[in-house]
Amino acid sequence: MTAPAKDPQIVLAALARSHPVLELGTLDLCFIAALHLHADGAGLSAFDEEKLSEVFEQVCGLVEPRADNLKRRATHAIQRLRDQKLLARVDGAGILRPGEFALTRLAAAIIESYLEDESLTRENLTQLTRSLRLSLAEILTRASAAQAEDDWRSGVEAPLRVSVSDLVSGIERRQRSLDLEQQAFQVQIAKLLESDWFGAVDQCLELLESTSRTLTELNEILLRDAHELSSVLQDIQEITVTAQAEGAEAAVERVMEQVDRIRAWGAARQRAWSEYYQYVHRYLCDVVRLDPSRALIQRLREQLTQHTKRPFALAIAAAGAPRLLREIEPFKDDKPKVSRPRAERERPPSDNDAIDQHAVVEELVQNALSREPSGLREVTQSVSAETPNELQFVTAGRVAQVVARLASTTRDRDRPWVSVHEGLVIEEWKIAKGGAHD
Amino acid sequence: MTDTRYLALGDVVADELFPDVDLALRRGRHIDREDNLWYTFLIDAQALLEAFYRRFGCELTHPADGYFYLLPTGDKLGRRHLSVPEMLVGQALTLLYLDPATLQSGGVIKRADALSHLAAVMGSDALTRAFNPKRKRVDERVAQETVRGKFAEALRRLAALGFVDLLDADALRLRPGLLRFAEPVRGRGSPAEALERLVARGELVLGDGGLELDEDGEERDDEASDEAEAEPAAPPPVPFELPSEVLSEFDDFGENAPLPEAYPEPEPYPEPYPEPEPEEET
Repeated sequence: MTAPAKDPQIVLAALARSHPVLELGTLDLCFIAALHLHADGAGLSAFDEEKLSEVFEQVCGLVEPRADNLKRRATHAIQRLRDQKLLARVDGAGILRPGEFALTRLAAAIIESYLEDESLTRENLTQLTRSLRLSLAEILTRASAAQAEDDWRSGVEAPLRVSVSDLVSGIERRQRSLDLEQQAFQVQIAKLLESDWFGAVDQCLELLESTSRTLTELNEILLRDAHELSSVLQDIQEITVTAQAEGAEAAVERVMEQVDRIRAWGAARQRAWSEYYQYVHRYLCDVVRLDPSRALIQRLREQLTQHTKRPFALAIAAAGAPRLLREIEPFKDDKPKVSRPRAERERPPSDNDAIDQHAVVEELVQNALSREPSGLREVTQSVSAETPNELQFVTAGRVAQVVARLASTTRDRDRPWVSVHEGLVIEEWKIAKGGAHD
Repeated sequence: MTDTRYLALGDVVADELFPDVDLALRRGRHIDREDNLWYTFLIDAQALLEAFYRRFGCELTHPADGYFYLLPTGDKLGRRHLSVPEMLVGQALTLLYLDPATLQSGGVIKRADALSHLAAVMGSDALTRAFNPKRKRVDERVAQETVRGKFAEALRRLAALGFVDLLDADALRLRPGLLRFAEPVRGRGSPAEALERLVARGELVLGDGGLELDEDGEERDDEASDEAEAEPAAPPPVPFELPSEVLSEFDDFGENAPLPEAYPEPEPYPEPYPEPEPEEET
């Protein structure tokens, strides 16, 4: 049966729920490394408590020689490692007797990544791919002969999942080590130049050349062998598809993906290293060799700081972009234009325009005054009666003006406001009897 | 090499790479080994193109650092000088290019690192003053914002000229053309002598190349400045003259003309502004 693919979200959620924490100092790492080396050297599968303390004290003597209270520190260190699932008790005796402890897989993985700097080399890659080819050829034979489900499981699927997958993982692991090695080379080249400048040129070139050679060789092996491996894997896949052995088919696909990945690694790393190689090569030729005393950086720094006092500007060509004359195509707009109907702007002549409204008002006021009104309201009322509604307000003003001019008016101290009609209120003036001027 | 690949200028011009390379050079682009095909083309055609461009009053320059650029020495091709921000940023990037620490990343640096390096070498105050030269009183925040803006603009322009590659929003790759900024300090003589020599060769001018500021003290619009600077020196225009048959119509110009019989009555009031003519219905 094929194990269902794990959903990353579920896996991450489970991991987060368990609150894993790794906090390891140099002393802890050295302690784990010492245990790993002891186990390796003496063929030990587990350590008793006394041995653990003894190893810790040795490590402490090297890493922190002035530390005291070593027993207590050893107890705390062992507890820290146990809490972080790096050290596990393996005897199962509980409180009956002192326990025995072994490093966990996690501790082994951590320390191997520090100690085992086995990166990919021509030799180990050739050996690994050869083993892979042999394993796959064997699996191909078994797949061709497989009949029962058990034949597929034990003869094809299991070897693909375990031995072949482990071999490919071994290549990938060494590839990652080589990546780290390259990074270290890059740092080393920078440091060499920093410390020795012109004297480091040869060393840098040697590092560059050796790494380039290694990468080229590895890439060639990967390209050639990966092609062969893919070809055998495709044959196995065809057989699994025909036999409808789903588990084996999935295992083949997984290995194929791994093989594709290691092949892609080779091309990508060689390309990246090639760029870096060219860049450093140019740097060594253009900068280091032309400036053996390394005075250029200092002089350029001074030039930059003095630039505002002694400015200069580089000249560059700046031809304008060519201007292409084109025929202008009239803008075609099918949408109806926004417009309004054409209207006659001149109004037709009207009789009203000839009437002098001022004269009309004056005549009406004179008529009203002749009737000897008591006040301005009476006059305004009589004129308003003859006036269209829209001119009532304007006319009231004109009436007041004409009355003030033609009659003698008096005002009370209070200046009462009186209503002429609805919507019009004026200040009342009293008109003297026979008070009209001449 | 040149002799085998291109026998005559016609072969060079007929190469499909020529138009792009030619336009790039004329626009001030520096072409180095990273421009693989272009650089190889220029190497192969160098001898023929040098003579070709000399006729345009410019030199196809190929320093030992491994890059090409076109240097106008006459007036036939437009030229411009790098602005103060471009010069300052260019020199800071050159310092980083020369720094062995940059080797570790293969010449790829962060923009922020470049700006902080420039500020560290020049000093933040000097940098702010250099990028805000016309402002006497500036708010610190505004001034810093201006510095960042001008720095980004200078980077963009330097990238267009082939001094750097803008890889993404944050990273850029330094290119060999940057070593042009170090030319005045490369020789063993004094920088002043080197500057004089470079000025004589037309490589640079003393003084500010311009802050590209308009009358309001603000930075000029890029396109506008580009166009203005990119305008090649044109020959003086021929004075415009009307054809003789047109000029003959004005033979009596200046003679006493008879007065009109009657002057029209002046209008009592000025004409009111006409109403806008409504659109014709279509």
